[in-house]
Amino acid sequence: MEAVLLLVSQMLVKSQFLVLVYFLGVNSWYLVLLLSSLLEMRRHMLLITDESRHLLLSSTLSPTISILAPAFNEASTIEGSLRALLALQYPRLEVIVISDGSKDETVRVLVERFDLVPVKTIYERRINTKPVRSLYRSATYPSLVVVDKENGGKADALNVGLSFARGELVCAMDADTLIEGDGLQRMVRPFLYATDVVATGGTIRVVNGSEVKFGRIVQARVTTHALAGIQVVEYLRAFLFGRLGWNRLGGNIIISGAFGLFRRESVVNAGGYLHDTVGEDMELVLRLKRLSYEQDSPGTIAFVPDPVAWTEVPESIRVLGRQRDRWHRGLADVLWRHRRMMLNPRYGVTGLFVFPYYVFVELLAPLIEAAGLLTLALGLISGIIDWRFAALFCLTAYGLGTALTAFTLILEDISFHRYNTFRDRGLLFWWALMENLGYRQMTVYWRLRGLWKFLHGRKDWGVMERKGFQKPVGVVGTN
Amino acid sequence: MVNRNLLDLVMVVEIALLALAVGVFFAHGVWLFVTQKQFLRDVTVARESLNRLLTRGTINLEDIDTLRQVPRDAQVTAFLEASRNLTGAGKERLRFVAGEVSLLDRARKLCVSGLWTRRLRGARVLARMDVADPLIETLLADPNPAVRAQAAEWAATHPAPSVISIMLTMLADPATQARFAVQDALLRMGATAADPLASFLETHSGLPAESGLRVAESLAEPRFLPAALRHSASEEVGVRTAAANLLGAIGGPAAAERLVALLKDPDSLVRAAAAHGLGRMQHWPAAAQLAECLRDSAWRVRRDAGLALRAIGAPGALFLRRALKGNDPFAADMSQQVLDLPAAAAG
Repeated sequence: MEAVLLLVSQMLVKSQFLVLVYFLGVNSWYLVLLLSSLLEMRRHMLLITDESRHLLLSSTLSPTISILAPAFNEASTIEGSLRALLALQYPRLEVIVISDGSKDETVRVLVERFDLVPVKTIYERRINTKPVRSLYRSATYPSLVVVDKENGGKADALNVGLSFARGELVCAMDADTLIEGDGLQRMVRPFLYATDVVATGGTIRVVNGSEVKFGRIVQARVTTHALAGIQVVEYLRAFLFGRLGWNRLGGNIIISGAFGLFRRESVVNAGGYLHDTVGEDMELVLRLKRLSYEQDSPGTIAFVPDPVAWTEVPESIRVLGRQRDRWHRGLADVLWRHRRMMLNPRYGVTGLFVFPYYVFVELLAPLIEAAGLLTLALGLISGIIDWRFAALFCLTAYGLGTALTAFTLILEDISFHRYNTFRDRGLLFWWALMENLGYRQMTVYWRLRGLWKFLHGRKDWGVMERKGFQKPVGVVGTN
Repeated sequence: MVNRNLLDLVMVVEIALLALAVGVFFAHGVWLFVTQKQFLRDVTVARESLNRLLTRGTINLEDIDTLRQVPRDAQVTAFLEASRNLTGAGKERLRFVAGEVSLLDRARKLCVSGLWTRRLRGARVLARMDVADPLIETLLADPNPAVRAQAAEWAATHPAPSVISIMLTMLADPATQARFAVQDALLRMGATAADPLASFLETHSGLPAESGLRVAESLAEPRFLPAALRHSASEEVGVRTAAANLLGAIGGPAAAERLVALLKDPDSLVRAAAAHGLGRMQHWPAAAQLAECLRDSAWRVRRDAGLALRAIGAPGALFLRRALKGNDPFAADMSQQVLDLPAAAAG
């Protein structure tokens, strides 16, 4: 019996050390990403200082962009959303609204408010989708196209949009996304800088608490709502040092579904969005990346650090939990679908570094963190682990993370400094400290739940409740 | 289990890191607060002085002195803002004032810096102020693509033969950003660039020819015809497609004859471009050949042939109706779709 107890206690201690080493490794890697993002940000800021975009705005050679805006039962908000999209400052723009079998008055509202007339057009159905019922063009807005189709989900609606789009580039966006007036001008830059770019993503910020008028951010503020406030810090960290850092290392494989710009031909050739996954945005990007290696075709995924779009984040634990659970299920599903890339030299940096990073750091992190916390609690209760070790564990797992987050806030402050008041700075720092006291542990639970559901084959989206802005904004929102 | 010293060390390091981050974060906030307020004040002063200098008939030395005393960043901001809205005599006056306050000299110094970021900054100021300076011409050969692109933007308003000649060689620039800026600048030069571009196209092939043909298509001048005919026989698909597009834009019997021949090209992109070009020219004698293309294996060719037949008018419509009753279901389907189109959508 004593031998068994000894073995258990040794295993407990060893597992704690392993978890400690894991956190140390992860935080060290984050430090590398932070340094990489600092260098990338410096280069970017030097490039855009005193930049004039009139060349792009007035040139007949600028690439045409088609915005794909799926809408499902959005009768009450669609008018404001669409007016904001039509007012975007980009010279060659086409807006395609795809009503995904809306059961409310969405199509009628569009027809009445935007002077729509039914038209016929010739389009090539290169991707299988649910049937299109009717097609409309506006007599007052030549760049507006409205497609009414049978319900098939967001991916299906985007695929229909791809068939109708005439732009060289397509912009996929989400329901609760507010695009900055010059957001498209900023996002299109990487396509002009290099020929092998197939997709670009930009920094998405949290809109909760900010002042919004006519679909535009008038004053960016940090919310006092705890749950949303912590997400402000989370988003800053994810975009400003996560994706920007990876951008310099050539390892970007995520473009937010909330706002991304793609080369249309590449997406269509890849087969469009997949229907049977909840992580369709990441899946598409990883597929584009994978195909670029397999077919020796262009496959650069670029990231633009400029804040180009704003999104509404959940303010209720229930909805946030569903969202994070879905995100993690999506991640697991996408990594499983493309598991062939794991540690496969054929897929270069993506296969050898990026993919394993997503598996060990993003996917399995909640498992390891939960195991670490559980064994720590057991060890402390049984007296096998002393308080010093517990303190070291917390300092390594959470303390270092908080310090890195604080440096991300500096990165935002020295670059775009959109949160400009001392109140906002104080709040940002406060939420960065609070993140580790309960919120992070909740996300561990939600992500574990997502993994569990993935293993049981669940592919439902759950309902995303939106509080809405002062003025109606984003379009999309499909079932 | 854990050495006390190790724990203390980790704790001290983390507290130091956190304190450093917080200190920098808030100190930067204070610095921003102070400098931004001051910057706004400086820009306002600069704007007011500049406004007086630009709108009054005489140059007031007091205003020049005021502008000289304003910090450089605020000075640059005010001048660049003003440059957007000025042309002709107004811009000339702005350049004079910029020269008086040494803004242009500083920009010139930046242009010869060893750091590309400084050269870019200098080129931006000189380009936005429309300064005719050979120094910026040398930046067309800069090793950094962003600087080359900025110099090309400047070149659009300074179409000297030497500049055009360099710009044409840059049509083969490996950096997309620079190539885009060069194409755009050549387009903005308009007729001035047409002759050199035509000569260039007659002697070049590959990527530079493809980029040049795109510019030529937008200019659509008959002098590009010989080059377009030559490139329509190129071995590269991109070049043949661009040549077909140019032929469609130029028009005329020789172009039409070549486009009809291109309807049999092995590549569908070229066939589609040829069909589109014939429709653009409304070349009705080619209706029968276009009707043949309604049976093409590529959807894109069938669509462009159908739309071209519709654009041709009555003779084309006749072929479309005939295809409706033909034995090829794809041709019949495309004809039906084209005939169903409303007038506005047929273009």
